[in-house]
Amino acid sequence: MVVTSRYERVYEQLCSIAGSRYVSNRQEELFLYRWDYFTCSTPPGRCDFVVLPGSTEEVQEIIYLANRERIPVVPMVSGLNNAGLANPLQGGIVLDLRRMNRVLEVNEDDMYAVVEGGITWADLALYLNKKHPTLRPPITWSPPATGVVPSLLENGMHDLGMVGGCGSDFINGLEVVLPTGEIVVTGSLALSDSWYSRPPLPDISGLFIGWSGRTGIVTKASMKLWPKLPRRDYSLSAKTFKDGIEIEMALFKAGGPLLGICDITAINSFWSLASRTYSGLDLSRVPLEPRGADYMGMLTVMASTEKEMEAKAEVICDITKKLGGRITVYEEVQRVMAENERGITPLVLNCPVQEFPIWNFYMGGIGEWIGGYMPIRRVPEYYLESLEITKKYGKHALYYHRAMFGGHYNIARTLVLSNKDDPEDMRRTRECLMELDSALRKYGVRYKPQYWAVLRNNNKGHAGTLGLISRIKKMLDPNNILNPGQGM
Amino acid sequence: MTEKREEKKVRYDFKKDYEAPIREFYPRERYLPGRGINEIVTQHDFMGKKFERFESLEHYRDILRLCAKCGTCRYLYREWDRVCPSGELGKFESFYLGGKNLLLWGLTRGQIKWTESLVKILYHCTLCGNCQVQCQIPEIHYYATDWLEAAREYAVEEGYGPMPEQKRFGEHVEVEHNPYMELHKDRLAWLPVPAEKMPKNAKVVYFVGCTSSYRQKNIATTTFEILQDLGVDFTVMRDEWCCGSPLQRTGQRNGAVACAEHNISEIEKTGAETVITSCAGCYRTLKEDYGERYKKELNFEVVHSSVYLLKLLKKGDLKLKKGIKKKVTYHDPCHIGRHMGIYEEPRELLQSIPEVEFVEMPRNRQYAWCCGAGGGVKASFKDLAMFASKERISEAIATGAECLVSTCPFCYRNFKDAIEEMGVDLKLYDLVELVKESMQ
Repeated sequence: MVVTSRYERVYEQLCSIAGSRYVSNRQEELFLYRWDYFTCSTPPGRCDFVVLPGSTEEVQEIIYLANRERIPVVPMVSGLNNAGLANPLQGGIVLDLRRMNRVLEVNEDDMYAVVEGGITWADLALYLNKKHPTLRPPITWSPPATGVVPSLLENGMHDLGMVGGCGSDFINGLEVVLPTGEIVVTGSLALSDSWYSRPPLPDISGLFIGWSGRTGIVTKASMKLWPKLPRRDYSLSAKTFKDGIEIEMALFKAGGPLLGICDITAINSFWSLASRTYSGLDLSRVPLEPRGADYMGMLTVMASTEKEMEAKAEVICDITKKLGGRITVYEEVQRVMAENERGITPLVLNCPVQEFPIWNFYMGGIGEWIGGYMPIRRVPEYYLESLEITKKYGKHALYYHRAMFGGHYNIARTLVLSNKDDPEDMRRTRECLMELDSALRKYGVRYKPQYWAVLRNNNKGHAGTLGLISRIKKMLDPNNILNPGQGM
Repeated sequence: MTEKREEKKVRYDFKKDYEAPIREFYPRERYLPGRGINEIVTQHDFMGKKFERFESLEHYRDILRLCAKCGTCRYLYREWDRVCPSGELGKFESFYLGGKNLLLWGLTRGQIKWTESLVKILYHCTLCGNCQVQCQIPEIHYYATDWLEAAREYAVEEGYGPMPEQKRFGEHVEVEHNPYMELHKDRLAWLPVPAEKMPKNAKVVYFVGCTSSYRQKNIATTTFEILQDLGVDFTVMRDEWCCGSPLQRTGQRNGAVACAEHNISEIEKTGAETVITSCAGCYRTLKEDYGERYKKELNFEVVHSSVYLLKLLKKGDLKLKKGIKKKVTYHDPCHIGRHMGIYEEPRELLQSIPEVEFVEMPRNRQYAWCCGAGGGVKASFKDLAMFASKERISEAIATGAECLVSTCPFCYRNFKDAIEEMGVDLKLYDLVELVKESMQ
């Protein structure tokens, strides 16, 4: 009689579910999937198996197996991870949905796409460009291999943020394998044959949004698309960061998205990075020099006709100039920039961002940020404090902010770079990130928080709300198998 | 005032902004000297360290940490098609450049150990270099295939590499000077004239290469006949050995150096000023590896047949008279394309043939999808070679072309195998075959 260990038994069962070609317990995969390799505040975890399922049914079978064996399951997409949210902290199975990367439906009339859970921005952009060129998705400023569904679920910020809000605002509905293995569908598809909206049913999509993959594995999503209209990108600048935010607020009040503004951001971090990377000049240390502006922003306008574009541009430019800001068509900025600073320019014309790694990892492969949602007036306050904190740790202040949904809410982030090969630098970076986390909480609410950031604030907040969150998690995942140790 | 408005209108043409592909916003790619990889803005400073090509893995150690497996290397720059045959087949992260970078980062820091699967992962790659074109971190963009090759040399030094099939062909090259398990004495069997009738000395040497000598003899014969018809003062080497490419790409550097030394000495005996090769792999090895990697002094110029024939065409020595009424597309072999920067000459020659209707595949020049044969893959990972080849054949068919043309016998061979297996009606040509047909 052959006696197999539990480990061997699980491996064999995973192979029989997903096919041995898509299951690995090799040193190499376990090494690569234990850590996201670009954040340093969360230590590498450990995983026992990496599985690439090919269907909802396979995901379901794996969940049943994990419940039987009481093994953690950590879902992720395309091998990418952010803030260590899919670092397998307690071992188990890492489920990379990368094989489930198809676009299942595009409805041009109701402007939505149904995608599988493992699709990336690059996959979706390629598909729409080829087959539905009049429509576009909202895309994050992240590498092309970033998962679409995790971006939506974790409230990522997009280049259509002003018109549509954050990632989750674009969700029409989800197909989810629950931690107990049942499949649920949220949104209009639950009671009709089409997936065009989230209302009017009770909005159970929220059970899976912002949960860091702890309440279910999303295998399909319906997401809103937007007409791909001609666009014009502008560079905005203002003497102080506060002045820049005043201009943004004036633009919100003048109509924001009604003026055709689909995206408005402060991109000080990118200017700083581009400048530091390509010319050695550290703008974050001398923010008022050499450009004479502390606030560096970017604004994108969409319009259907040239006449409409000119009319909108006139209003936007007038408001900006009246408040002392400068506004320039972006190509013009690019033209006058020094050759070695042009690394920044593709960003505004291109999403997803192929230049992402050079900006974020040039120092040593680590680029971790602390970010949160906050009211608009808090944005410059957090900016100034984050500037001081990063300076204190000898780090470049790489700050950016993005206005969402017509300016109804805002996101601000501070990026800190570090060197994977330098333990002392990693330690200093961790301390800096933790101090930034503490500072941010004075101004807003963290998003995509690292597990330590959740732990240190576990009991802070509305007791009733936190209690409900805890009860929902226990109800949905009685064996606590999904991404244990992470999230709320 | 009016002038300013005019200027604005031209530069920000509304309709053009909407319809033009994003790449048109940027100037055409400027390639690095002698390579088919575009220049990108370099970093101001990388800890004051300067990097060179063809160095050991240790030399590139510091670059490896820059990678965070962000996946940029997997997608075609700004168009988002897939570029990596190894990753697309292997599926796991380790098969993409990002995975390999971090595995080498871990290996060089003692965090992981040599295993059979690590060796397999490092060799499960055609070294086509498409991934490095996509990565925008300058050091990775410029040097990734250099450390991927260096890692294989390191594997061999440590006794873990190469793959068994590659080791076997390496041993065979040592004895019979070809990787095809053929006899050296049969190397010139394709020659339409008795070998002893070939002149000992000539201005030009046609370096045939192993694949054309033993497998795709059509390419050897056709190239030979073209040179003969054009009255070129040329010869073939009586004792040509493998160029060494299959050995160098699989980390077996010593064997490759031995091949280089022998071939250089044999070429010098002919007194040739020019060496023509119709093989992309031989071209890269002779031109780049012999001189720059092995630091050998070359007293002759190495030219790919497509470049040589285009030059003769422009001089008026080669006349392409007969029309070939076919819709054709061109596959860029990695070894002359991305690795050496020859993109336009084969296209120009092909389009000089009367009545040829030329159409590009979407992934072309530095973005070309690899045929799947190189880097020792055809010997050790037949599934990967076939997967990559089938993908390219499908891409060629999707253009509506009747013919797929290339300039490398190894690409030819792999495409031929895929076409047979797929059972599709796509005609395969080496460029010299169409040139010869048009000369008649």
